[in-house]
Amino acid sequence: MDVSLLVALVIALALIFDFTNGFHDTANAMATPIATGALKPKVAVAIAAVLNLVGAFLSTEVAKTISGGLIKGGSGGVQITPALILAGLIGAIVWNLVTWLLGLPSSSSHALFGGLIGAAVVGAGFGAIDGGVLVSKVLIPAVLAPVTAGLVSFLATKVAYGVTRKRERDRFKIGQIFTSSLVSLAHGTNDAQKTMGVITLALIAAGVQPTGSGPAIWVIGACAIAIAAGTYTGGWRIIKTLGRDITDIEPAQGFAAESATTATILASSHLGFALSTTQVASGSVIGVGLGRKGASVRWGTAGRIALGWLITIPASGVVGALAAMLSQLGLWGVILDVVLALGAILTVYLIARKRRIDARHFTQPAPGVFVRPKRRKKKPASVAAVSTGEAKAG
Amino acid sequence: MTIDWMAFLTVVVASLLSACLLVTLFSVALRLNDGPAPWRRPVSVALFVVCAAVVVFGIYLIVPFLHP
Repeated sequence: MDVSLLVALVIALALIFDFTNGFHDTANAMATPIATGALKPKVAVAIAAVLNLVGAFLSTEVAKTISGGLIKGGSGGVQITPALILAGLIGAIVWNLVTWLLGLPSSSSHALFGGLIGAAVVGAGFGAIDGGVLVSKVLIPAVLAPVTAGLVSFLATKVAYGVTRKRERDRFKIGQIFTSSLVSLAHGTNDAQKTMGVITLALIAAGVQPTGSGPAIWVIGACAIAIAAGTYTGGWRIIKTLGRDITDIEPAQGFAAESATTATILASSHLGFALSTTQVASGSVIGVGLGRKGASVRWGTAGRIALGWLITIPASGVVGALAAMLSQLGLWGVILDVVLALGAILTVYLIARKRRIDARHFTQPAPGVFVRPKRRKKKPASVAAVSTGEAKAG
Repeated sequence: MTIDWMAFLTVVVASLLSACLLVTLFSVALRLNDGPAPWRRPVSVALFVVCAAVVVFGIYLIVPFLHP
């Protein structure tokens, strides 16, 4: 089989995956500031895109562990060939698009792992999967991430509402701009690297690059641009789910959620217990929904999201496995794979166009709408109580 | 299957403390910004500066160049 054609296809699909990764994860940082009106939708996605672009150039550590780690695993018998990487990428892309269509914030990393695992099973049998690693690195963190972030954001919300008075809370929006930008930057330094790692892995597997070398500068640049472009497109469906459908978010809650997300992600990446950004962000939103008196969490939506997480790895794995089976037919199998993948992308795009959701669907709350005092007509006694309370506090 | 529960507990405590610290600082700063007493404004501004420092520390943690 023509290796250079195969590598070119892997690079193209990896960049498509990077693009879907971008618009899938815009919501993690920008759903809450868009929901509270802290940032206009277009401005929010532009900031996220720039920070993802910058972030991609800041580090290549994760990319090196992906390109180095998987090759080392190969010595045990699992041979990662470019064709298997291609199949894995197809699984990841298809699942990312399906979850986007359904508006589910699911982890792009899990989609990528799932696709690669599925392809590896076809290539090397079920022995290729280390069940223990799957449970300890993927399943248990998937439960712990939202619970941790939810607990943190719940308490942070209690603090925010305990300390401030209603009329002061609109200014949490200013804080939100900074905290959401931090989430975005943290995302940027991590996520583009997964694709850099995969492309480098393919280049190493094809013998173009020496084993153990890091990503080339053009790979870094291409991945940075792909993820930034994807981020700017803004996965509006997922932003809607995270910012609107789980719970109604006020500025103080938004600030608490983003602080909790940033703190949890940074703690997990620096203290050695890896957690998924998407799952942390979703957990934070649920936490702030529980933390504010009078807010309610729509558990149906939360349950749908959890179900999405549960089936992400098996689903992208099945697609990856099917693609890997086809690719074993040789060059024509690989070409058929790519054609089918492009067909799937086109189909999802056409379905999405029918029920379009974009920036214009986000009517934002007017400034001050959360802090305007409610009119109480029937109970003069409570109005009196409120006004004396104000007088005491003032 | 090995779960490093100690590392997980550290992550929970660290994120709890840092998030609550930032939210407390910002909330108290907002609260103090709103009132007639002359001492409140400068204290509030000082607290906003501390918040900014926390955000800068966050950037320091995110960007690998800055910490060896």
